[in-house]
Amino acid sequence: MSKSVGVYICSGCSIGDSLDVGRLTNVAQKECKAAVCRVHPFLCGDEGLAEIRQDVAGKAVDSVVIAACSPRMKTAAFAFDPCMPLDRVNLREHVAWSHSPKDEDSQQLAEDYLRMGVVKAGKMEPLEPPVGEVSRAILVVGGGTAGMTAARGAADAGYDVVLVEKESHLGGRLANVRTGLPNHAPYTELQEIDLAGKIQTLTDHPRVTLHTATQVARTEGQPGAFTVTLTRNDQSFEHRVGAIVMATGWTPYDPARLGHLGYGKSPNIVTNEQFEAVLASGSLARPSDGKPAESVLFIQCAGSRDKNHLPYCSAVCCMDTLRQADLIHQTNPEAKVYIIYKDVIAPGQYERYYAKVQNHPATFLMKGEVSAVNPQNGDKVAVEIQNNLLGESISIRADVVVLATGYAPRAAGANGKQAQASEQGASFSSLEPGSILNLTYRQGPELPVAQDGFPGSNFICFPYETLRTGIYAAGAVHAPMDAAAAEEDACGATMKAIQCVEMVSRGQAVHPRAGDLSYPSFFLQRCTQCKRCTVECPFGAIDEDEKGTPKFNANRCRRCGVCMGACPERIISFKNYSVDMIASMIKAIEVPGEEEEKPRILVFMCENDAYPALDIIGIHHRQYDASVRVIPLRCLGSLNIVWIADALSRGIDGVMLMGCKYGDDYQCHFAKGSEIASRRLENVKETLQRLQLEPERIQAFQVSMDEYARLPEMIGTFVNRIRELGPNPYKGF
Amino acid sequence: MEQVRQIEPDLAFIGELMSLGGGDVNKCVQCATCTSVCTLSTNNPGFPRRQMLLAQWGLKEPLLSDPSPWLCFYCGECSKQCLRKANPGETMMALRRYLTSCYDWTGLSRLMYRSAAWELGILGLVASVVVLLFTLPHNFGFGLLSQAGPQALSRVMLNQFAPVEVVHRADTLLALMLGFFLLSNAARMFYRLTRNQQIPASDYVRRLPTMLFQAVTQVRWKGCQAGDAIKNWLRHLLLASGYVLMFTLVVIFLPWFQVSNDSIHWTSFLGYYATGVLLVGAGWMIADRAGKRGEMYRFSHLSDWLFPILLWLTAATGILVHIFRVQNLPMPTYVMYVVHLAIAVPMLVVEVPFGKWAHLVYRPVAIFVDAVGKDAMARSV
Repeated sequence: MSKSVGVYICSGCSIGDSLDVGRLTNVAQKECKAAVCRVHPFLCGDEGLAEIRQDVAGKAVDSVVIAACSPRMKTAAFAFDPCMPLDRVNLREHVAWSHSPKDEDSQQLAEDYLRMGVVKAGKMEPLEPPVGEVSRAILVVGGGTAGMTAARGAADAGYDVVLVEKESHLGGRLANVRTGLPNHAPYTELQEIDLAGKIQTLTDHPRVTLHTATQVARTEGQPGAFTVTLTRNDQSFEHRVGAIVMATGWTPYDPARLGHLGYGKSPNIVTNEQFEAVLASGSLARPSDGKPAESVLFIQCAGSRDKNHLPYCSAVCCMDTLRQADLIHQTNPEAKVYIIYKDVIAPGQYERYYAKVQNHPATFLMKGEVSAVNPQNGDKVAVEIQNNLLGESISIRADVVVLATGYAPRAAGANGKQAQASEQGASFSSLEPGSILNLTYRQGPELPVAQDGFPGSNFICFPYETLRTGIYAAGAVHAPMDAAAAEEDACGATMKAIQCVEMVSRGQAVHPRAGDLSYPSFFLQRCTQCKRCTVECPFGAIDEDEKGTPKFNANRCRRCGVCMGACPERIISFKNYSVDMIASMIKAIEVPGEEEEKPRILVFMCENDAYPALDIIGIHHRQYDASVRVIPLRCLGSLNIVWIADALSRGIDGVMLMGCKYGDDYQCHFAKGSEIASRRLENVKETLQRLQLEPERIQAFQVSMDEYARLPEMIGTFVNRIRELGPNPYKGF
Repeated sequence: MEQVRQIEPDLAFIGELMSLGGGDVNKCVQCATCTSVCTLSTNNPGFPRRQMLLAQWGLKEPLLSDPSPWLCFYCGECSKQCLRKANPGETMMALRRYLTSCYDWTGLSRLMYRSAAWELGILGLVASVVVLLFTLPHNFGFGLLSQAGPQALSRVMLNQFAPVEVVHRADTLLALMLGFFLLSNAARMFYRLTRNQQIPASDYVRRLPTMLFQAVTQVRWKGCQAGDAIKNWLRHLLLASGYVLMFTLVVIFLPWFQVSNDSIHWTSFLGYYATGVLLVGAGWMIADRAGKRGEMYRFSHLSDWLFPILLWLTAATGILVHIFRVQNLPMPTYVMYVVHLAIAVPMLVVEVPFGKWAHLVYRPVAIFVDAVGKDAMARSV
């Protein structure tokens, strides 16, 4: 336990003009017994920083409280020894810039924040990063376009690579395709795919260990220290790797489910993959009788963008159809090619290729809905199209009908414990859990899948992250994409894998608290084996022994503190973030007596979205009610309900929880934190009613960064409601 | 149960349309920008978007019964705004060329639109017939002149060269022939446009004034909001007035218009107006087309060139005949007279019923049928 806290108050940026800095100094020195308290008009300048460094170097202080701007500002200036206890008190954005200057309420707010900061810093201990031997090798699962690109990228960057492919040859889906889409100017001609060259490069690469016809039997351990057991022909062998890129690609959507589009009714109704073989034959032979086809009709979105099938756009079928149309016309320029689409998706430069293919006089594109597909006498197939651009239902006869089927990711979903993984998603893939990575994690053997069956997390904020630290999805298993996009995606995932092994080797958190040296420790003597932490950890960081005692894996951990919030015994703590620290901060708030009619509202704020949103309010110099006391949390999921009890018993009149949006399109940095917090809150409300306290005194809000402008009103409305309810009856007890 | 129409694209039709100027039609992605920017397109579904789709798909039948191509005056705003450079304006022009060739039952039009050799050949053939008529018979043209004695070579005696009553009869015959072909083609067009419609005849009768009014004024053009629409409309109106005036003078008032000697008649002043308007109007259009000034002139088919050039040459040779006659230059007058007719006659015989000039009836008929259709639609709603 640190004993000598140094408090450094900045009076610049109008803090000194709005607040009585002298009174703040008194609070620090007299009340909080700070070892050192200094005021500087420009604390982040060289002179101010030198004062802090001098005190730390001279061992006058061992913990530092910076009472200045938001902890999100000036992080580079206030970076000292990363292991030293440090707390930032937000006097600028949250007080001076957002409350009336020279006002008693503002002053009280600043003093409370200072008390809370000093108490917290006083309870912090120096950080001791996790240590252990780290492997920097990278395992790539899948030897298709994405996997080969990832392996090449990592190997070229100087990392050892183990590339595992279940088939006997590399290449994946591209091995069956003759020509690829244009990837250079003028973007109008198909080009040869140099698959052999790519394979040769990998085979010859000194850093790549290649295993074909091999599968992953078992993956155990954690980032920096995975032990992967591979099997080939009943032989089994092990590799030690630091991170994993999963590039298992996609599976065509099962055409047997496309009976409504005629599949199975005639040999002349084929999928785009089957039609590739017709093209390869060179004569456009109609499957039923081998006569050259004179007309081919493509039905786009066969099974995609369909709520009864794949709900998403499979991203590659449009361009694939255009490519096949081009190949048809290369064989027979007179052949009529009909393309019935919902929308033609030709992103970026592909537009030029689309324009080129469309410009052929025998290419006929029509937006519409296929309502019936019926084989006719004489081997032709009649396709009826409704809601088309012609304004009347039409029927077209073609020799061959091609269903441009969509794709399902080759992910195996998760076991039953991950209930929120889309049930629909799981049904798209025929793979059984345990058939890809075979993780020995307590929460299941495969990457959890999110919306639509793809393993991943918030695609906008964290494009490469999955819900398992150190394991990155790349290519078509990650999101629908074509070969060119898969190459880019694989590069991104490889960079993430490299970042992972490097950060783990320094004992740092990888993501999203990149660089964090803290991690939770478990006081197991008091553990009751309730398993809440092992169930609730969104990242599967905690395994269990047979009795249910948690076995923590630091490198899998993202340091969100969800386990800390979950633990009813409060035995999970970080050295700089614990149940006790937050509880002590709550106790440090001075609650005015009932007669003063000054309510106190505690706000637990997610420090990723809600807290910076409130910073923006300060930056815009907009005001909000000064009766709130904000405590930032690493994630709202780290909220331990004991804090609410503490607050109410201290006489705090209301508690607001502000976390990120949750649900299918969640914005929570830790995937499930805000959702878990809301669930916990429901339980608390029952307790409140037993205590005869109004449940409205506690309310959870979902806030996204772009909604910052609503915050003053949200706070004001809540405070007014609390004023209507009257003071907390437990005040003064 | 909704009617399902079986369709089969006509590749030959697409090829023909592309060769007539619709070469970019396949680039259309049906974004409807063209229809949105067109202020004349008030139909539903609007043009030129629908026509682009029908053309892309080679659906000839619906296009043959569609008045829309004639409702467009080709300001070119659609082509300018087209995101894919599919040139809907020029495609509409190509459709008009194609439709002109289809409405003609003789097949001559089709031959001429498809082949420059045919077009120039037929014009040349008619011109040769005119020249032969003046040179071969002994009682007309140069034959007659040789019988008139030396005085016909010392002063202009046009009646000794081309007696006005003979020419007048020939003019009338020509006008009747021309009218027959033009009107029979227009009737075919009217039949194509209306055969699938169930609209009572009284509706058509009620809208007849619209057709006549549009034919005379071309006032629909004013509805186009493109920058130079008003200018183009006025220029076209003046040109048309000069043309109609001249045609009337020649066909009806020839005995007063074709003066034998160097005297000047009241008809000469009308002739001056018509000639001036034709020379300036047609010359201006030729200059615009040569300089590609404006969307309308960016692409030129042979028929687009022949139209104003023949008109300009007719006016120029006509005024030269007049000048030579007034200057009392006998031989130049006679020769120029032959040249004048060798240009004017093929122009009238070939271009009016079978060429681009046919639009002078097709356009009012289309506007008429469209207006009747809209009346019926409004009543049914």
